[in-house]
Amino acid sequence: MMDSKQSGQSRIFSGWRIFSPSTLLRVSPQVGLLLVNIVLWVIFGLVSGGFLSSFNLFTLGRDIALFTAIGLAQMIAISMGEMNLSVGAIGGVAAIFAGWLMQVLGVPILPAAILAVLLGAGMGWFNGWLVVHTNINSFIVTLAMASVYTGLLLIISKAQAFSNLPLGFINFGQASIGFFSLIIFLVLVMVVLLIVLYRNSELGRWMLAVGANRRAAQFSGIPVGRTLQIGHALSGLLAGLAGVLFAARLASALPSIGVDWVLPSFLAPVLGGTVLSGGVVSVVGTLLGGMLVESITNGLNLLQVNNFWVLFFQGIILLLAVLLDRLRAVVAQRKGGSKR
Amino acid sequence: MKLRLFLRMRSVARVDWLALLVLIIVGALGLSLWQSRFDSSYNMYVLLRSISVVIIVGFAQMVVLAVGELNLSVGALGGFVAVVLGMMLEVWHLPLPLAILLALATGLLAGLLNGLLIAWSGINGFIITLATSSAFTGMSLGLTQSIPFYQLPASFTQFGESAFGPLPYVLFVTLLVSLLLAGLLGKTVLGRQLLAVGGNRAAAELSGISLKRSLVWVHSISGLLVAVAAILGTAQLGSAQPSIGADWVLTSFAVPIIGGTALLGGSVSVIGTFLAAMVIALMNNGLILIQADPYWVQFLLGILILGSVGLGQVRVAWRDWWRKRGKEEKKSYV
Amino acid sequence: MFEIQSVSKVFPGVRALDEVSMHLRPGEIHGLIGENGAGKSTLIKIITGLHRPDGGRLLLDGVELHLTSPRAAIKAGIGAVHQERNLIPRFTIAENMLLERLPARMGVVNAAALKQEALHWLRKLNLSLDPAMEVARLSVAQAQLVEIAKALTLESRILLLDEPTASITPAEAEHLFTIFRALRDQGVALLFVSHKLEEIFSLCDHLTVLRDGKAVVVDQEIATLDRDQVLTAMIGRAQTITDLPPRVVDTKQVVLEGRELSTAQGHRQVNFSLHRGEILGLYGLVGAGRSELARALIGLEPITAGSILVNGRRATPRGVRQAKQKYQIGYVTENRKEEGLFLILDVATNVAATVWERLSRFLGLIPRRAERQLARTYVDRLGIKVSSVSQQVGTLSGGNQQKVSLAKWLAADCAILIIDEPTIGIDIRTKDEFHQVIWQLASEGKSILLISSDMPEMIHLADRILVMNDMQMVGEMHNSRNYDEMSQAIIQTIHAHPGRTAEVVQEARHV
Repeated sequence: MMDSKQSGQSRIFSGWRIFSPSTLLRVSPQVGLLLVNIVLWVIFGLVSGGFLSSFNLFTLGRDIALFTAIGLAQMIAISMGEMNLSVGAIGGVAAIFAGWLMQVLGVPILPAAILAVLLGAGMGWFNGWLVVHTNINSFIVTLAMASVYTGLLLIISKAQAFSNLPLGFINFGQASIGFFSLIIFLVLVMVVLLIVLYRNSELGRWMLAVGANRRAAQFSGIPVGRTLQIGHALSGLLAGLAGVLFAARLASALPSIGVDWVLPSFLAPVLGGTVLSGGVVSVVGTLLGGMLVESITNGLNLLQVNNFWVLFFQGIILLLAVLLDRLRAVVAQRKGGSKR
Repeated sequence: MKLRLFLRMRSVARVDWLALLVLIIVGALGLSLWQSRFDSSYNMYVLLRSISVVIIVGFAQMVVLAVGELNLSVGALGGFVAVVLGMMLEVWHLPLPLAILLALATGLLAGLLNGLLIAWSGINGFIITLATSSAFTGMSLGLTQSIPFYQLPASFTQFGESAFGPLPYVLFVTLLVSLLLAGLLGKTVLGRQLLAVGGNRAAAELSGISLKRSLVWVHSISGLLVAVAAILGTAQLGSAQPSIGADWVLTSFAVPIIGGTALLGGSVSVIGTFLAAMVIALMNNGLILIQADPYWVQFLLGILILGSVGLGQVRVAWRDWWRKRGKEEKKSYV
Repeated sequence: MFEIQSVSKVFPGVRALDEVSMHLRPGEIHGLIGENGAGKSTLIKIITGLHRPDGGRLLLDGVELHLTSPRAAIKAGIGAVHQERNLIPRFTIAENMLLERLPARMGVVNAAALKQEALHWLRKLNLSLDPAMEVARLSVAQAQLVEIAKALTLESRILLLDEPTASITPAEAEHLFTIFRALRDQGVALLFVSHKLEEIFSLCDHLTVLRDGKAVVVDQEIATLDRDQVLTAMIGRAQTITDLPPRVVDTKQVVLEGRELSTAQGHRQVNFSLHRGEILGLYGLVGAGRSELARALIGLEPITAGSILVNGRRATPRGVRQAKQKYQIGYVTENRKEEGLFLILDVATNVAATVWERLSRFLGLIPRRAERQLARTYVDRLGIKVSSVSQQVGTLSGGNQQKVSLAKWLAADCAILIIDEPTIGIDIRTKDEFHQVIWQLASEGKSILLISSDMPEMIHLADRILVMNDMQMVGEMHNSRNYDEMSQAIIQTIHAHPGRTAEVVQEARHV
């Protein structure tokens, strides 16, 4: 996929928004997303009375947070020019693991959650290890490992669900401040940490460099193997976190968590301006992308549109998003922007 | 003489299916010795029935891999075609032959859509087929409200269950498709052009083969094959379920990859794909016979994929090392 | 028959070709020779339809050609055998040769007709290859022959051969030349591009020499030229150069030394020593093995014998990172687009890529401001033309990109710098700026190993010059800075050591 921005804009500025006038084609994707979001909210608010109710905003906020969390996990892999098709599998494993720890072993909530998230990081780390040491590309590795992880999970847990979770955990999933779910705050913390990672940390620089040009990264003295490993571990960590959060939201740890995460995990980052080939991320964009998708889903649900058509819409949105991005790239090139 | 023949067969692609064949023979022998029920006619029938659909799903991905592309929508499209078929039979009461024809057309058109989108937009097939898979799933679920179609004509479901001894009728369809596909890829101009694109895109374009046209063709063929698989699967199941393609994506990659199809394109192995499906089916069957958890399949499938890709790399590295030791000066083209 | 009339091609900041004219007659082998950056590959790309000329035109039999794509060139009868193979690996020789028009009946390939036709063309070239053989299993030489046969099937009247003997044995080269001569006798016009003088002289009828985008020798009959003349034409005289302030080299301190180095690439017993504050030039023609030696010095290529010493102590660098951190050796690669730069990232990030750990402050975080400031320092110092350090490197001109690539390593502040072909394809003014920077670095005490095929540049900058040919160190000389004297000495050194080709021919005879 080609980069699409106007020349002269730094693309590591994941938080910055560059104000340009006129068409959607010339505006940065993040601003465009924000505008579309606002317009959408206005429309839904007018058309459907319940959209702006405090209960709905609570649900919507929580769903946005969860969707974004999955997207962040994938975004990390994409930033390095890789992909992680096992986000769902890792999420599911982490959820069940946390459930098991809390319900069966009676481990207190916080340590259980942390252990589950760490398990996710470990699984991601193993993915990274395979990618680095076997030279097989991440598509195959994570596709196969997703199968391995899920298979192992089902074999070990016998597809058992854990629905007797500690009250504190369930409450966390339902708690809110005003109409903001607590889960949102957790995810926002993640967003901030990731923004700092990519803007200001050495690791973040390494990841983007590896994604931008792996060979050049090697020739600049960047430890490519180590970067890939850590990156994959981080991706797994976020996937694990998403799994645990999902369990909190559902108030039970189900083996079905993560089963359909692959498409959403790409949707949010791609909508938000993260480039599939790597080197360019937008953390805020991923958040805005998640916001857009969930807002549409939520709004459509309220309008009594069949739930099944949601998937259909997600596919169409993704399609439109990449086509628009492509169009943007063509326009930018015609203006003599990017020279290759 | 024999040594020379054997040595010639030791080129990279061919060893793949030889190893698979050995694996199958060993596996089958092992199972028949260990589990008495393996040899029963019924078990054979079950085994062969299960590979019938899997092989075609594998082919659907194989043709796309041949040009160095991916098709993530095989599962979703399979469900969609099944749903459309069910609708035509149960809701619109169309005659069976017509319904089947229309179902095939649906698959073909859907594949065509994928191909056109990819060719025209220049966007990676990964994202496009990811998006369309979601659209297809959504449509199937929306159309059925998640309730499968059970009222299928008896002739249809009977075909799905009948057999010639241990050989199910559906297997014959699969064999026919395999032959046609092998013929297409091996002997026709179109097939050779498609494989040329996969083998060396630049060289193919220099020879006047259009990349865009090739993309449209492979995706259309892929869609058609998915439709065939969906129809056979529906006949076997006796009902049209939107979930029919639920685990097809993984399998669709596993089968060609284990069968030796190169991930980067240009090299396919119809025989290898066939044998790989058999290996997977044997594994599946074995697990059922020993009454192991069905979940082992997923786990082992993942291991198998990694193993075969890894093995392929080891083999390439070994071959390079062997050549470096043997002849210093002669550099080979590959 | 085929005329190239005053063809020019301009890229941002560089005039790659400047009114080059040439003439190809049927039944001749026309040599095209020139150093790196002379414009050979640009001219080839124009002839084969990949680029369009900005000025001038191409004429075939008096008719102007408008080559809009490589396909158009092929259709016009211009065949080419490039340096990279253009064959389908898993297909047979016959299929590759006739891919464009596979003989078929109703869509099904006619295997018998395919084989027959392939044999027909193979016999025309007197090749005894089996048309059913998979191309992947052929040697490089054989694959090239298949490509030539393929070009014939397309009725090419002009055959362009780009460095055809690059990866084949001398025996195979001779066989290839027999075929070329046969083709010439059949009326084909061959354009033979090579940097190997011996081959040019043994094979070609006419010669055109490119230098700095201009044709300095045009359509000359080979018989009227001798080797030294050609080399001089290729290498050129020194241009007016800026006077550089005098420097002192500390000849007692050896910072980098190679002793009896042999590598897996084929280097044998290479010896050299680099002193503090010295600019040590490493000269050689393309294929001499200089970049490979450089890579071995930082650990990217395996060393099979001998040792590397840094500041007198045994060193075992194992990659760019270690070379930089442990041994203070930096490597400015010759291939900036693929290995030196992150085109989609901005200037600041590119420049700081080697030194992020140095920039980190509180909690290991790197303020963007520090990066930008660092980048600005080097933008000023090197005169990089950017609108801001946030500009995407991919949008810069070639010369400015190369400056960014250098800036990255300047920022790393390495004591030893290996600079590989710094000014290829760069305009004269920027070249001069680079030279001043390199000189300045040396006077600050940095030790530089300068790899270059640009003779004037070498003689302008280097204190001593090492000459390499065919993976061996064949000469070492002190630089008197007298252009005529030095260029002669270097040329003669290369001539006196034609390399291992002689040995290899012996080996080939025993096989």
